[in-house]
Amino acid sequence: MSDNSVNILDIKNIEVMYDNVILALHDVSLKVPKGKVVALLGANGAGKSTTLKAVSTMLASERGKVTKGSIDYDGNSIEKQNPSQMVGLGMVQVLEGRRCFGHLTVEENIISGAYSRKLSKGDIDQELEKIYTYFLRLKERRKSQAAFTSGGEQQMIAVARAMMAKPKMLLLDEPTMGLAPQLVAEIFNIVKELNQKEGVSILLAEQNTNIALKNSDYGYIIETGKVMLEGTAQSLLNNDKVKELYLGISKKGRKNFRDVLKEESLNKKIN
Amino acid sequence: MANELLFFMEVLVGGLLAGTMYSLVALGFVLIFKASATFNFSQGAMVFFSVLAFCGFMQDFNIPFVLAFILAAFLMVVVGLCTERLVLRPLMNASEDTVLMATIGLGYVLEGLAQAAWGVEVRRLDLGIGDFPVPWIADNLKLFISALDITAGLVAAIMIIGLFLLFKYTKIGLGLRAVADDAGAASSIGIPLKHIMLLVWSAAGVVALVAGCMWGARAGVQFALVDLALKALPVLIIGGFSSIPGAIIGGLIIGAVEKILEVYIGPFFGGAIEGWAPYVLAIFFLLYRPEGLFGEKIIRRV
Repeated sequence: MSDNSVNILDIKNIEVMYDNVILALHDVSLKVPKGKVVALLGANGAGKSTTLKAVSTMLASERGKVTKGSIDYDGNSIEKQNPSQMVGLGMVQVLEGRRCFGHLTVEENIISGAYSRKLSKGDIDQELEKIYTYFLRLKERRKSQAAFTSGGEQQMIAVARAMMAKPKMLLLDEPTMGLAPQLVAEIFNIVKELNQKEGVSILLAEQNTNIALKNSDYGYIIETGKVMLEGTAQSLLNNDKVKELYLGISKKGRKNFRDVLKEESLNKKIN
Repeated sequence: MANELLFFMEVLVGGLLAGTMYSLVALGFVLIFKASATFNFSQGAMVFFSVLAFCGFMQDFNIPFVLAFILAAFLMVVVGLCTERLVLRPLMNASEDTVLMATIGLGYVLEGLAQAAWGVEVRRLDLGIGDFPVPWIADNLKLFISALDITAGLVAAIMIIGLFLLFKYTKIGLGLRAVADDAGAASSIGIPLKHIMLLVWSAAGVVALVAGCMWGARAGVQFALVDLALKALPVLIIGGFSSIPGAIIGGLIIGAVEKILEVYIGPFFGGAIEGWAPYVLAIFFLLYRPEGLFGEKIIRRV
């Protein structure tokens, strides 16, 4: 039943509230086709993290709730699931800000990702070796305490840890936040590789619009809790409004998307 | 001169060994603090509850010693299970302060249940280990050291080694350390918090039982055991709330310092400074080293 559906994730018109009063998402719909990379773009506070947390069911721990709409993962509603069940179903979120276990070694961090799977010691070693082929840097630092590794290494730890759970789908929340440009490229290469070689579907929240779209198949732009624009990554990269607003290619000053739409509708009325 | 030194040694060793009894109580706090970053105010009540049940099984039902101990340990696992189910799970997303308040309430419930089930009178607990000097040591080393103190020291050593192995080399131990570092991240990769909570509350319950046996054998099984837990507070401040070795060493320091101060400085204050000297020490630690000797420092990259 789930096998013939093309989308591994299907979010339909969700609304999310925090503490029963703060409306974080108004109306977000998005789809992630199996085996694809989808970028979720937008500024701070646009609702990217909230969307990802709604999917991984981690909203509850922040007193958030999906109040309208539906989320289907692999053909089934996620409504009654909790985060550890979602991990069991193959959906793993890499939280914003890396969130490594600082007092554990790099290797312990990665192994902890396999917690939900019943693996023997030998299986774990095998999986570790496989993971290290993607994250060569981590293998060198396997015995260091995670808190003392660099920001880029911590991001790699977080992704490697998530991969240890053998996910079908990864939710990456701003994986390049605060990283130097070479590291950003390195992280995206790894993400791309994991997508292609391991067949992991990826939903990626990013502020770094340019590089995110270059590494994605499809993109959504959200602002103040609403999807404003969507399209293939290529079409978004070539879109004038996206260029102006998110890629900073413009002669005028900064604007937000709604202002552009308002201007457009005004222009239409005038014409 | 030699006699004075011998006397000092005796005070010191006696203090250190008595300190391990504090360590045992403090251990229970550390376990829960690691997993939920909450000071468990019901730890004292757990000590009282567990050891009273142990006595009750032996004295009211004539269950043999070992079986009674196992039953009491099992009972503490059940208490851990109920606590997780009825108190912690509904408060899963509540703030740490809320959980802290809940542990105070839990303490009252446990005290009440224990006394309702087993009565309020002081019971004697005979472990078969006397609280008097070991003749062999007294004869050969000229030190008067209680057999109960030595036993407490050994038991504390065994427990710390056992817990260390559990945390370092088992899967659930890795899970616990992950939760202790970042509970949110731990749940994002599928570590079920409820299993970890169940583990630490059960472990803390069993540790409470052991501590209760030691203290019960010395001072009688009575309600005052609840307040004994307060003695663990300076131990934790000195050792660090999140460190198991810290709890042990903090206990040793408190034990030794309070005895030495009592014997050598006590007379200037009219004696009985044992009761408050540890708290004074704790205040100095709060001022100059608030994370304690072994508390996990907040690691920040610079």
